[in-house]
Amino acid sequence: MTSGFFSRESTVAPPGFNRFQVPPAALAVHLCIGQVYAFSTFNLPLTKLIGITQSAPGDWNLKEVGWIFSIAILFLGSSAALFGRWVERVGPRLSMFVSALCFGGGFMVSAIGIHIHQLWLVYLGYGVLGGCGLGVGYISPVSTLIKWFPDRPGMATGMAIMGFGGGALVAAPLSVLLMKHFATPKSAGVMETFVTMGAMYFIFMMIGVFSVRVTPPDWKPEGWAPSSQPKGLITSANVAVDVAWKTPQFWLLWMVLCMNVTAGIGVLSQASPMIQEMFSGQITAITAASFVGLLSLFNMGGRFVWATASDYIGRRNTYMIFFVLGIALYASVPTLGHSGSRALFTAAFCIILSMYGGGFATIPAYLRDVFGTFQVGAIHGRLLTAWSVAGVLGPVLVNYIRQAQIDSGVPKAQAYSVTMYIMCGLLFIGFLSNLSMRAVNPKYHFKGDTRAASDGGGH
Amino acid sequence: MKGKIGIMWLVVGIPLLWGVYKTLQNALKLFQ
Repeated sequence: MTSGFFSRESTVAPPGFNRFQVPPAALAVHLCIGQVYAFSTFNLPLTKLIGITQSAPGDWNLKEVGWIFSIAILFLGSSAALFGRWVERVGPRLSMFVSALCFGGGFMVSAIGIHIHQLWLVYLGYGVLGGCGLGVGYISPVSTLIKWFPDRPGMATGMAIMGFGGGALVAAPLSVLLMKHFATPKSAGVMETFVTMGAMYFIFMMIGVFSVRVTPPDWKPEGWAPSSQPKGLITSANVAVDVAWKTPQFWLLWMVLCMNVTAGIGVLSQASPMIQEMFSGQITAITAASFVGLLSLFNMGGRFVWATASDYIGRRNTYMIFFVLGIALYASVPTLGHSGSRALFTAAFCIILSMYGGGFATIPAYLRDVFGTFQVGAIHGRLLTAWSVAGVLGPVLVNYIRQAQIDSGVPKAQAYSVTMYIMCGLLFIGFLSNLSMRAVNPKYHFKGDTRAASDGGGH
Repeated sequence: MKGKIGIMWLVVGIPLLWGVYKTLQNALKLFQ
């Protein structure tokens, strides 16, 4: 066990502590690691490190550079799954610190890679090290927030995970500003931008490290009494992480998340060319970038709004809305495209993306309802492998089906219709999985002392 | 305690609002 400043014991909140100090601590971490969604702002500059104004012989190509993001997302999912139990054991402070070291350090190692023009160092830095920072940072405040807000877990985790969506909104203009500031006739300013961002993110994440607090033993909000009887899917028992993933409920929720994310991420990855091709001649690349920005805004807002709503309407009902409304909206996209209504088309995708974000933000509270608070962070970490799968599946589906349609002679403006109907099919699978959710069989419940198990790491 | 919480929210809120503002500024081009 760790001792001193980083130990779980030294982060126990003193009497009179206001729990609303914890969400900004979580946001400080999520706002930084959410930068990963804006990594594409570096893609083109990274292909011109030698040529500066245009790619020169020896410069990296876009395909090679594209792997940096993919590796980071792969390591996000893997590290969240692998280190979830460790995060639960050591508490949020040490895990946030490790995340800050990995994420900030990842930028620094990548900066060296850029300076000496060695792509493998960028893969190792931002991809592997940064990816681990992403995974550990993503799950580190989740169970702490759920324990501080047992009365409103959706709202609490929604706030933090909203930060992950918001991180891209901050990082995209910030990266452009910094590269512009550091650019010289001999340099695109990418290396300097990486160093600056690495340092800035490390410092900002340390705000979270210093201010996060865990609940004292047996703490509960004033005037709130936990239900002693299970209510629908909401359990009053606990399930340990190693048992949780042997239950059908874990895999049903895995499918729920995977299907919801696959549909959203497929669109998000192709949003710019899609709107340009569906409204050929009416939408320029610059306007398409505005469309992508708007989608990011709804992705962020949906995280807070839908997760908060789930506290009132229930987790299963929230996902039912995602799937039913999602199917209706995806099915209407080809018609909206043909009708030429940009406003309706944009509105449909904004709602779709709000539900994509909402799916991410509502899942921790759903897990807490089904498996209890004991090791919910670690269970969440393992469930995030669904994100890694969806991260590959979504863009591949959209890209390959579009290309197959074009190759078979379908006009570009109509090449997305089949994809949209396939997305409806994926959402229907998610709908069925969500519909099949039942309370966990009591044989899986943890019978020991959850506090002793958490403190001693005896699991 | 309340002042500390206010500062914490400002620290995370200001960059977030800046990002939202920049995004909205760009998004308006879609309807121009």
